[in-house]
Amino acid sequence: MNAFTIAATILLLGFLPLGFVALRTRPIDGVVAMQLAGTVATLVLLCLAEGLHRSFIYALPVVAALMSWIGGLVFARFLGRWL
Amino acid sequence: MSNVAVDILLGLAVALELACCIGVVAARTTFDRLHYASAGATVPAFLVVAAVLVREHVSSGGLQAIVAGALLFFLYPVLLTATARAARRIDYGDVSALPEEKGR
Repeated sequence: MNAFTIAATILLLGFLPLGFVALRTRPIDGVVAMQLAGTVATLVLLCLAEGLHRSFIYALPVVAALMSWIGGLVFARFLGRWL
Repeated sequence: MSNVAVDILLGLAVALELACCIGVVAARTTFDRLHYASAGATVPAFLVVAAVLVREHVSSGGLQAIVAGALLFFLYPVLLTATARAARRIDYGDVSALPEEKGR
């Protein structure tokens, strides 16, 4: 264990309150929680890539940032149009 | 020395990111929640990228960390604006200003 893997592990705790918001509030609030979850996931992958010293894992946070952005945009557009 | 810098940067990043997560729970309206979500994509991401750069310098990994941080910083405002417009449309039926809002 080093500082980066410990940080990644603690950051994973951030999913718990976001999951609570996604389950308990309106769908549009769940989308906001999902967007922040995408940010948290990107940072977790970034910490794991450095903490595990695997250079190929550095592509994952780049892809995660891009994909969570696209997914959040699709959800926002569809919810705004049909709710 | 660099280990201390990495520890401080990561500690601040984790604390701020978790504060943003708790803020999303504690906020009352969708628009308040968007503030916390946008904050989570800026300062904590910069701090994590800075910690990676302290360790990696400008290597392949460091450059990809910069790209990930830049994607979060430059793309997420677009996403949050789209979400705010969707929330406004759900709550008020339209994104344009209401008559009582135009006088402000």
